Amino acid sequence: MSGLGMDHSYQVSKQPWNWTRMSGRVLIYSALLIWAFICLFPIFWTVSTSFKTAVNVTQGDIIPFIGRFQGDWKGWRALGLSPDTIFQISTVRDEFLLRFANSLIVSIGAPVLAVLIGAPAAYGLSRFQYKFGPWKNKDISFFFLSQLLLPPVVLAMPFLVLYKELALLDSVIGLILIYTLMVLPIVIWIMRDQFDTIPIELEQAAMVDGCGVWGAFIRIVLPIALPGMVAAFILAVILCWNEYFFAALLTSTSAKTLPVMVASQTGSQGISWWTMAALATGAIAPLVVIGVFLERYIVKGLTAGAVK
Amino acid sequence: MTQSASSFLVPLVRPPMAPEARRWAGRMVVLAASVLLVAIAAAQALEASGTLALGLGTWRLSLYAYLVWAVALGVGQVMMRGEAGYKALFLLPALLFTVALVIFPTIFGLYIAFSEWNLSSFEGQKFNGLDNLRTLINDAYFWNALRNMTFYVLSVFVQYALAFGLALLLNADIRARKFFRVAFLLPFMLSPVAVSWMIGKSLMEFRFGPLAALMRHLGWDNPAFFATPWIARFSIIALDAWVWIPFMIIMLLAGLQAIPKDIQEAAKVDGASSWSTFWQITFPLMLPVSVTTIILRIIFQLKLADIVINTTSGGPGGATDTISSFIFREYRDRSNVGYGTMVAEVYLVLIIVFMTLLLNAVGRFMRREAAL
Amino acid sequence: MKTEQYNSIFGIKTDRRNLLKGAAGVAALSATTGLGGFSSSALADSKSLRAEILKIPGVGKGSPTDADWQKVGEMCLEATKASVKPGEFKGVELSFMGLNNQNLHNMLFRGFLKPWEAYTGAKINWIDLAQADYNARLQQSIATKTVDFDILEMGAPFEGDVCGKGLASVMPDWVKKQIDIEDYSDYLKPPVGTWDGKQYRVTIDGDCHNFNYRTDYFSDADLAKAWKAEGHQGEWAVPKTWQKVNEVTKFLKGKKIKGQDAIGYLDPAKGWGGFGFYFLEDRATAYVKHPDNKAWLFDPENMKPLVNNPGWVRAIQDVIDSLPSEPADQLNADPGTTAFQQFLAGTGSMLSWWGDVGQMANTSDTSVIGNDVGFDILPGSDEVYNYKTSKWEKLASGPNYSPNCAYLGWGVYVMARVDADPKKQKAAWSAAAHLGGKDLSLWTVMYPSGFQVHRNSHADIAEWTGAGYNKDYITSYLKSQFGSYNHPNRAIEPRIPGIFQYYSVAEDELAKVFAGKMTAQQGADSIAAAWEKLTDQVGRENQLKLYRASLGM
Repeated sequence: MSGLGMDHSYQVSKQPWNWTRMSGRVLIYSALLIWAFICLFPIFWTVSTSFKTAVNVTQGDIIPFIGRFQGDWKGWRALGLSPDTIFQISTVRDEFLLRFANSLIVSIGAPVLAVLIGAPAAYGLSRFQYKFGPWKNKDISFFFLSQLLLPPVVLAMPFLVLYKELALLDSVIGLILIYTLMVLPIVIWIMRDQFDTIPIELEQAAMVDGCGVWGAFIRIVLPIALPGMVAAFILAVILCWNEYFFAALLTSTSAKTLPVMVASQTGSQGISWWTMAALATGAIAPLVVIGVFLERYIVKGLTAGAVK
Repeated sequence: MTQSASSFLVPLVRPPMAPEARRWAGRMVVLAASVLLVAIAAAQALEASGTLALGLGTWRLSLYAYLVWAVALGVGQVMMRGEAGYKALFLLPALLFTVALVIFPTIFGLYIAFSEWNLSSFEGQKFNGLDNLRTLINDAYFWNALRNMTFYVLSVFVQYALAFGLALLLNADIRARKFFRVAFLLPFMLSPVAVSWMIGKSLMEFRFGPLAALMRHLGWDNPAFFATPWIARFSIIALDAWVWIPFMIIMLLAGLQAIPKDIQEAAKVDGASSWSTFWQITFPLMLPVSVTTIILRIIFQLKLADIVINTTSGGPGGATDTISSFIFREYRDRSNVGYGTMVAEVYLVLIIVFMTLLLNAVGRFMRREAAL
Repeated sequence: MKTEQYNSIFGIKTDRRNLLKGAAGVAALSATTGLGGFSSSALADSKSLRAEILKIPGVGKGSPTDADWQKVGEMCLEATKASVKPGEFKGVELSFMGLNNQNLHNMLFRGFLKPWEAYTGAKINWIDLAQADYNARLQQSIATKTVDFDILEMGAPFEGDVCGKGLASVMPDWVKKQIDIEDYSDYLKPPVGTWDGKQYRVTIDGDCHNFNYRTDYFSDADLAKAWKAEGHQGEWAVPKTWQKVNEVTKFLKGKKIKGQDAIGYLDPAKGWGGFGFYFLEDRATAYVKHPDNKAWLFDPENMKPLVNNPGWVRAIQDVIDSLPSEPADQLNADPGTTAFQQFLAGTGSMLSWWGDVGQMANTSDTSVIGNDVGFDILPGSDEVYNYKTSKWEKLASGPNYSPNCAYLGWGVYVMARVDADPKKQKAAWSAAAHLGGKDLSLWTVMYPSGFQVHRNSHADIAEWTGAGYNKDYITSYLKSQFGSYNHPNRAIEPRIPGIFQYYSVAEDELAKVFAGKMTAQQGADSIAAAWEKLTDQVGRENQLKLYRASLGM
């Protein structure tokens, strides 16, 4: 049981150089490169499509700056984000920026709230024996999980009515609340596994020293599980960032978010491939930044909790 | 998943009971807050029914009253039960939050499920008992979609195997580790709408898509990815797997990293081949995290809709239809709210039964593993 | 953006600016004569104004940008100035719900209304929906009483759901005058846009399906030779009947044109949120819309579906027969695919669609087929099925044509919730009237906007050529549009509540038929059964009444 050591990366073994090892390396790297290509090519395709013209799209041009595909700002111009339009007034850009800002607020706000109430709940479920009538810990965990099961589409009418009565329609708060509900089960389940692996002796030692349960949780356990919390947080951010259904249902003028605008690029007038690609590129950018900066936490975080 | 009672945290020194006065005060706090909540809710209910004109406006006030009540309940727990109250405080916020948000939609949803409610009807909603259930039993679209779902869910295990393999690779001693990890995570970040359009309808497009071009190169003359049932199903699964495998990789990789290295080294010293090390040591140690991963993944798979709606609309001839996309058509395109909700509720029951069975089976299996 | 800024940014010569000043001056003068002061002198200037706005940015100069929309909006503000004092609506806030369709529609309206907001002092908040969400959002808002918009962009098929429930505001007379409502094409005049005899809709779009074909195919000498060689009847020419369309499609299978695979008609075999059913209607109307009968979708006596009568079944069978000769991915092609990924991208030679295709073939950057496109009204049929006599009939007048006026276009509606406040009501209607203005509409139908010709005044070829359109091209295009609108045997969209539910459920069944799981007759019977159920659910009496009203019975 060693959940505490953070660095489990393999050291280069000092084995003598040999053919088996060599061919193993080749196999590993070719597999890695192939899968990286599978992951990256569609992303490249999306980004490059934002610089295409109609001919480039209908001819399926792949490599930029060769032949026909010289790059065009068309997709970005439609958003008022190309070099020649960036300093002009653009209602589309205003719309994009408003939605971008709202998306940021909502998809940071909801995961923060979810972690704030989810982490203690996960800790409680991991450490204490609860009993609500016939319900025990297992049932409570499943109750949280079951909130994920219903297809969201049938919640449309109930939530419209509920939000109308609570005056939460078209408000950022309302959106944050429902997104919190959406990611809470994921946070709780991931973090419960986390806490399960942290040796109980640590807290017991702290309590002997006079800490209360909350004191031990905040001072001892949370710092150990912090990276795991960050990991759950990041998965939640991605899910909130891309949430479409409730965003389309519950917002109108002030709380609207980005995904609806991406979907708006198709309709009865065809598809603006370039604009949709530009929007998708713009929408993925912040997530990539988060991924690059927090990648180490994602892995180290879940590390503490995975295997007992 | 499974938890032996010994791992529960039991304080070494049993704290003294709270003094009687404090417990009484605690009860009073909870009682007062409850009275306040009931009073405000009742007043608002009267206003909503038109009996009283109090000018309270929306139900916001009741929401605030609920918040006050929730805080009072927490404070009261601590005052009444001392240490046990503090423990309850861990769970209460999440529980009260969830209950507050889902109680109305759940009840109202059930009511809708047993009513005939077509939004275009001038008569509005009317109770119709079990009619929706009867319709459902005879609905070929539902059963067809359910059949497809079993297939989609089965594919999760293949995806899991693939994700496990990739996680093993990432766990090996490799260069440019950060690059590979971020690259492998990227597909999960692309929004489902963008996935359907930029990949399903562009990259895999019959005429200009590079993937179609590649397939022609490889000798498939008519690379139409969504035109025949089985190919369409596999294409949808491929698209969906592309998005979700990163999610599984990350969880599994984390599990792999947590395996104490000394165990594996010990196996090596014993001269076990890497193949048998994997099956005898790594895989069993990975079981719990694998279960969580698969469960979460299955849940998301069961709600698969966006990609299907955008790329195939459930076609050809219903071959790729999912329950969620069928509900989507009933509920949204046809505003058939009552029936759509009933389909969802029945589906929910099926999922809960399936999940419970699965979790129990897994629990039994793991206990047996542990016993061996 | 003010016109001056626009000019300085784009370096437009000042003479146009001066000309505009003149026009504005005259209009302002005429404004002093009072409300709706369109004197004859202003009309003369309206002509030059129309010519001026059409130069922004100029046909063939690429898609217009935000700055262009604002400029057009500003230049067309005269009618508003005549009825509204500057700053009159200060403090009024309006919510406008509409589509964001590829940054057109609502984005376009934002540009047009920006100068209007600056002049009147009102502020507009925008609710943008993706087209896929539109129907559900509208229905759910109505059902949960969460209508939070004052102005609504809506298609005629939803009038039953909105106007029929008393949610819309009745159009004041001054608006009718300002938008010159008499100018609308006949088929868009009442009963369309009205409910129980009251006018609700400011029309900004006209819709029908026309027939688009590739001129290079039908002037290709090799194909003509092969056509003869294979012993087909008649010359190698654009098909005029659906029978011919299918013959040509089968003939083209396996042929080459300019080194590429030749392909005939393009059927969308996949659903499109209900919109896909219109394309079966295209084939069916020629078979089932008898000139003597007004009805073609339901029996106007008892609301029984006609969709499983031999005429409809034959149309479905036509699609089944044609699909093997169409591209290999056709089973997964929705109307968006057939138009934008196939036809406009150079695949296929015949297509029925809304006017967008013709409008875009020439002006939009999405098209690669340029001028090789010709237009016609939808093909006809040598014989037509008369549901009253249950017999196929050959008409003395030749083939039966029945253009499908599908969807009837978008309109702007004002919601009844503004009626309580006279200032707000006037502001909302003024905004709607500005968007539906006669001159503004000319610009929107000429440039990629998603809106088609819908006024008689849009038929002036000289204005189109003046804007830079090729004369033959535009003549052919306008003939196909107005030829459909004004056709005596046109098939009109039945504006009954929930019409898209009927279409959507039909799409599901058709998907099974096209995938080979059912025969045409079985499929048609299941559609009819599902429609019967739906009619009962929505209310048969009511549906029957409204269906008859929509047919003008």
